[in-house]
Amino acid sequence: MTTDIKHIRNFSIIAHIDHGKSTLADRLLQATQAVTAREARNQLLDSMDLERERGITIKASAVTVHHTHNGQEYMLNFIDTPGHVDFTYEVSRALKACEGAILVVDAAQGVQAQTVVNAYLAIEQDLDIISVLNKIDLPGARPDDIAMEIEQALGMAAEDCILVSAKTGQGIDELLETIIEKLPQPPAPTTNKTRALIFDAIYDDYRGVIVYFRMFDGTLKTGDKIRMMGLGRNFSITELGKYTPKPEKVKSVGPGETGYLVAAIKTLGDVRVGDTITLENSPADQPLSGYEPPQQMVFCDFYPSTNSEKKNNDFEELRDAINRLSLNDSSFTFQPVHSEALGFGFRCGFLGLLHMDIIQERLEREGDVEIVQTAPTVSYKVQVRSKKGLIKELEIHNPADLPDAGTIVSIAEPMCRVNIISPSEFVGEVMKLCLERRGIYKHQTLVSATRQMMTFEIPLAEIIYDFYDKLKGLTSGYGTMDYEITQYHNDNLVKVQVLINAEPVEALSLICHKDRAEFRGRQLLTKLKKQIPRHQFEIPLQAAIGGKIIGRETIKGFRKNVTAKCYGGDVSRKRKLLEAQKKGKKRMKSVGSVQIPQEAFMAVLDQSE
Amino acid sequence: MAPQYNHIVLPTLGQCPSASARQVFLALKPQTSPARALYIHIPFCSHKCDYCDFYSLVDTRDRQNVFTDRLIRELRALGSFAPEPLNSIFIGGGTPSLLDASLWERLLGELNDSFDLSRIQTGQGEFTVECNPESTTPEFLGILKAGSVDRVSFGAQSFEPEHLKTLQRLHDPDRVELVIIMAQDAGIVRQSLDLIYAIPGQTLRQWQRDLQRAVAIGVEHISCYNLTYEPATAMTARLNQGEFTPADEDLEIQSFELAGKVLGEAGLMRYEISNFAQKGCESLHNLAYWRSESWLAAGPAAAAHVGGHRYRNTPHLGQYLDFDDQGFAPIMDHEQPDTRRALAERLMMGLRLVEGVDSDPIYRAGEQINEHLCDQLRECVLKQIEAGLMAMQDGRWQLTDAGLLLTDGIVAELMDVVYQA
Repeated sequence: MTTDIKHIRNFSIIAHIDHGKSTLADRLLQATQAVTAREARNQLLDSMDLERERGITIKASAVTVHHTHNGQEYMLNFIDTPGHVDFTYEVSRALKACEGAILVVDAAQGVQAQTVVNAYLAIEQDLDIISVLNKIDLPGARPDDIAMEIEQALGMAAEDCILVSAKTGQGIDELLETIIEKLPQPPAPTTNKTRALIFDAIYDDYRGVIVYFRMFDGTLKTGDKIRMMGLGRNFSITELGKYTPKPEKVKSVGPGETGYLVAAIKTLGDVRVGDTITLENSPADQPLSGYEPPQQMVFCDFYPSTNSEKKNNDFEELRDAINRLSLNDSSFTFQPVHSEALGFGFRCGFLGLLHMDIIQERLEREGDVEIVQTAPTVSYKVQVRSKKGLIKELEIHNPADLPDAGTIVSIAEPMCRVNIISPSEFVGEVMKLCLERRGIYKHQTLVSATRQMMTFEIPLAEIIYDFYDKLKGLTSGYGTMDYEITQYHNDNLVKVQVLINAEPVEALSLICHKDRAEFRGRQLLTKLKKQIPRHQFEIPLQAAIGGKIIGRETIKGFRKNVTAKCYGGDVSRKRKLLEAQKKGKKRMKSVGSVQIPQEAFMAVLDQSE
Repeated sequence: MAPQYNHIVLPTLGQCPSASARQVFLALKPQTSPARALYIHIPFCSHKCDYCDFYSLVDTRDRQNVFTDRLIRELRALGSFAPEPLNSIFIGGGTPSLLDASLWERLLGELNDSFDLSRIQTGQGEFTVECNPESTTPEFLGILKAGSVDRVSFGAQSFEPEHLKTLQRLHDPDRVELVIIMAQDAGIVRQSLDLIYAIPGQTLRQWQRDLQRAVAIGVEHISCYNLTYEPATAMTARLNQGEFTPADEDLEIQSFELAGKVLGEAGLMRYEISNFAQKGCESLHNLAYWRSESWLAAGPAAAAHVGGHRYRNTPHLGQYLDFDDQGFAPIMDHEQPDTRRALAERLMMGLRLVEGVDSDPIYRAGEQINEHLCDQLRECVLKQIEAGLMAMQDGRWQLTDAGLLLTDGIVAELMDVVYQA
């Protein structure tokens, strides 16, 4: 039943967003007759609505197809990876399950920052890489130039690029041939014990967790009692299968192959991507290398928005929705919090900004709850001195949790290595932006005659809000970036607090560099002044560092709010206007008697002028 | 294929009467008391003023005759639903004085035939026509007088030529005195002037002069409107283009207060946010709006309130002329009677009046909606009283002077209580 290891190829497709990864995957499925043309019309590997809407893949899946080459049938397992940097760890696990990677580059747009980062991930995993220039059917395609970019930026020979149009099917046969001839077969088992790598897991309402794995050593069979080596949990396999791309049950999965298993696993918390599966009664001595727990780097709070129709049930509904969603995504964390301003809610941790947006959208869409989201922050490492003089380290996800300024020894923040590719004429602007964001210039290389790649070290806190939008704006949309979190770094950071109507609103406090604190505080007040609507009384806004006021603004009270003319013909329209006015307040939160709109809470991280 | 307005398919002739005013009248409950007020809209204008958001058009197709025929058919249809003597008629626009004299005679004659005008003719009612100073003549006023009109309202707006220019009004400010004398000579002794304040560039001193001049003319009723930038008007477009700086809020408040002071000293008391009158000379017709009474409506874009129904005649002259359901006009924005909505509207309109609203009928309506509503309303009112914005007197809820300036916010809160209950 199992295929000879010589005739197996495991590979991933990696690409910058929109360079046509999923379309290419579909085209390969079609060429191997795994699906009909009609089925291939939609991107098959992306299963969630949200993924399709955003044009990205959130969950990796593995598909097994068969292709006959020179009279020999080969098993091709291709492992789809999430394209975004937030999921770098997941990408690296998916790549570890492969021997080769297909690097897709848009023949019109060329090498982008994400292409570089993904290619390096594949190189780090020692994969053989096939470069593919996609969309060669487009009028703007410049395959020769882009092939040179690949050579210059990534050191892969320009003449080895395969020209493909996933849309028309051109070059697909050649690509399949190259996959079989150039990519190595899986390595022979190194131990007689069973070892499989978990590279993905999803939650299914009916079957519980479905685990995607790659066999390295030995064989898994239906009914086997298995152990997750990292977590130390034991399960019993009730179903083994492969996606072709329709799920098909199999009795066993042998070395070099990929597949999925179901084993009555109730939550995603019981499974870790990167963990090693072995047999309970004959466990391997060593797990496969490279396992890491997911790292939440970006944090924000979710609160139910005020909804006086339902009153107290909002928090319960939010909790249910978060619990349900956590069955589907174990890489975000949550814990209940209470805020003076916003009442009861949850502090949530995410792999990155995109991950945060996805979770918020899914909660609102699938959980049918309305959420007030606070500004995202990063995870700080704070050293504090206790009364006895002992120093201990705290991990702080929220400026509000920062202890008294007197006890703080140091605050360290996560740093990123940021790669930016931009047309040469915008290099000066990009440089300015990065330096403004406390970036440290590292190096610069030519990607092509007209484009450059720059590398900076920038604090994560400086890029999590509007950095990307800024970059896009500065470079007329041509600049692309990618980042990788590197290490923690001590800096002179302070907490700036905001008081509205003399009440501190913790959800609006921020941590920033001391030199910029006064500026940031004042800037925030100016924004809040615009965001918070006028009330029937005067509202003072203040910014403070440790009790010292560093800025003040005042929102003047309404002294006049009256319609001059209101006669018989105005009744219905006027009534609707007044009703709408009240409805507009639904998404607001009260602090004392002040109504604060949700956007105001996002003003904290908006550094624009 | 008939065009569509707000999901209501307009009727073609003799068909689909569900979107005609006739259906509303047929649906009235037998015990519904007939309306005692009538509003008529004359849509013609010689040009469109920049601040105006009323329905009006500069007619280039000479449709005055057919319009009058059509209006008369509508009045006949409505007349059968007004068996009792009318308390008030108000003819507005547009520029009613632009309608041809012979057509006015036909229109007024028809009103006499189709409605009982006995109260109006014996001085217990009110029949107002809105006039523009530039197009008003003694002949015209004579026709009005002969047709039982006993009150005219002139759009003076300002006595400063530069401000009239900002508003794109065509008349010579001195003409206002003249037309008032004309009206007196014609025997129409009840007169009202409209003034506008907070015009870009207007000083408090200039506003004071306008008020004093209006007082000196000696009319019984004055309306003072804070200039409002209505959406989709030329004035708002000019504002957005930065053509001028709007008056600041402090000046608006000072102008509001100054109007109360200057007119009050002259015996014209504020009885509504923007309206002032000698005692007993308040506009009966407008009081019907603010007191949520019923009224009939005729002419394109005219809004009606009958037996709890609200609707608006089609705001399109062509459709108004073409579609005719036994005289009734095609309508849009029809709202069925609704206790909650009626209560919200009663508060919204009634609190504009200095006399305020009678809490008794409000409590009665509140009890029908929800057992807690009355308590919640009272609580909300008490909160406003504490803030000095409302007062309770003789079982009436009223806004204080400070409250009048904040009417919309206060009313929105009360309405919210009504809708959330």
